[in-house]
Amino acid sequence: MDTVACYKVVPDEQDIVVNFDNTLNMDRAKSVIGEYDLMAIEEVVSIADATGGRAVLLTAGDERVTDSKLVKAALSRGAAELYAVVDPALASADAFQTAAVLAAALRKMKFDVALFGEGSSDLYAQQVGSLVGFLLGAPVLNAVSRIEVSDGKIAIERTLEREVEVLEAVSPVVLSTTADINVPRIPQLKDILAAGKKPMTVWSLDEVGGLPASSVETVSVLAPASIERKMVVYEDASAESIRALASDIRALR
Amino acid sequence: MDFGKTEEQELLLESLKTVYERGDFDTYFKECDQNHEYPQKAVDSLVEAGFSALGIPEEFGGTPTDIMTQIMVAEEAHALGYPSLCWINFSTEVDDILAFGNEAQQKEILKYALQGIKPFTLGFTEPQAGSDSAAMATTATKREGKVYVNGNKTFNTSADRAPYMLCVCRSGINENPYKDFSMYLFPMDRPGITIEKLDKIGNNMCGTYEVHLDNVECDESDLVGVEGRGFYQLMKNFEVERLTICAANVGMARCAYDEAVKYAGQREQFGKTIGSFQLIQEKIVDMKIKIENMQNMLYKAAWKKMNGESISIDSSLVKRYTGQAAFQVIDDAMQIMGGIGYTHDCRISRLWRDQRVYRIMAGTEEIMVHTAGRALIKEAQ
Repeated sequence: MDTVACYKVVPDEQDIVVNFDNTLNMDRAKSVIGEYDLMAIEEVVSIADATGGRAVLLTAGDERVTDSKLVKAALSRGAAELYAVVDPALASADAFQTAAVLAAALRKMKFDVALFGEGSSDLYAQQVGSLVGFLLGAPVLNAVSRIEVSDGKIAIERTLEREVEVLEAVSPVVLSTTADINVPRIPQLKDILAAGKKPMTVWSLDEVGGLPASSVETVSVLAPASIERKMVVYEDASAESIRALASDIRALR
Repeated sequence: MDFGKTEEQELLLESLKTVYERGDFDTYFKECDQNHEYPQKAVDSLVEAGFSALGIPEEFGGTPTDIMTQIMVAEEAHALGYPSLCWINFSTEVDDILAFGNEAQQKEILKYALQGIKPFTLGFTEPQAGSDSAAMATTATKREGKVYVNGNKTFNTSADRAPYMLCVCRSGINENPYKDFSMYLFPMDRPGITIEKLDKIGNNMCGTYEVHLDNVECDESDLVGVEGRGFYQLMKNFEVERLTICAANVGMARCAYDEAVKYAGQREQFGKTIGSFQLIQEKIVDMKIKIENMQNMLYKAAWKKMNGESISIDSSLVKRYTGQAAFQVIDDAMQIMGGIGYTHDCRISRLWRDQRVYRIMAGTEEIMVHTAGRALIKEAQ
């Protein structure tokens, strides 16, 4: 089965600094592949390997996505090649705009399974995968915790709150995984060296039909306000301690 | 001049960090150190991630890697807190057997190296022959088509785990000891071999042994390299060994430094962080200078080796300097940490115990003066 994993290049959360006014400073943040997207990449490679198919990668963003180290980092994880839609406008695209671009790119590619991570590790809106499926008119599922392909059938497990839902889908299908679907591989030196030789295709926005208008206006992006630790220890679970805890919480609101 | 790492090197070091973080190695190494246990779980994770394959030729199933990259990886592993003497890139052993071993020996030794198993313990030092290697008394005697090895070797790292010994013996063919040494490679489970564990102050995760060789029967084909050339073969071995040892020194120093500097910026005394006191700042600055110097010397030597230049002097200089400088950096780190640094809770105490032997093993820092001093004067004539 031919598979494609989509990933997003995001600022490394370890390097994001929260300013005094709770705005975020990303000046010192290196670009990395979204943490949850690594599971999508791992999964498409294992499906392709198990079924004798081909796994490829797709990303969209500004020129950072073609940074050669990031490209090698992505392709060292087993996929055969990378497709990238590159335009400065994509850096600030909302979920719908990104989905529209990725859906248009996927229309140009042949695939049986398109996979997304649980969410991007910067905005974590968890929308792009589902929107892409909708735009392509393909079956779409999220929260997928297991994918088993045999005889052309795609068996899917979704881990829900109280049960595991077992479904079967026909290709082409668009899925978003959970973060625990697998443990992504650790690239070895030979994979890293091989990644540098794998092909990359860059598409402009025009080649995928342009960027639709955004229906969302971002007013601000702020870190939640933090409060000082109160350093109060409640010794036991007596009614008195619980009353004190409840009243302290109420006083903070 | 380019001081940058290549993208491939950066990605490889990121992979190393991921292995380390996924394994929660900090806690694990603390336990292994306390229990005097070999960190097998960490070794397995590194082998799975391909780190034992670095530097082994492709035809033996490895990934060809230059010495610079191998040194970078070894340094980084130790900087992350990996225990010294347990590192799984056996560049010295690999280099040795590729240079002097026959095809069968190469296949056998590289098979183990690929699995992260130290392929052989080097039978070099003897109770009466340390720095004075000419005093080695272990003999290899030929009798009826066989070779019998007799003697005692000591300070044999991992003699309990290594499947082989590469043993340096007197052959009895030349009165000049330097032209009489030969190397034999034999399995450690041969009859006549007994080992005795040494009780030492550090490197608890890696056992060190005395090895008694009582009429150990070898075949003439167990000879490695040329009869009577063992000493010269060894000297070549030591050049690479010194670079990898120095990488461990730099890494351990960085590990201690990172912890101490972070602590200096957080620990408050007299109403301010101790890092705001100039006596502490002076330590930190001097530690950093030493780390920079160590790295520069080490990488320059590795670069020369890669470019086919002789590093016979460099390897002695860098061995002496990194042994001493790393010791001073770790000792200063402990001083900055105060009482906590002296407890087993803080890994600096382990580094302090473990690194000390690097001023002694693989050529003492005094012998480095002897080897480099003579050569420098000769060079100036």
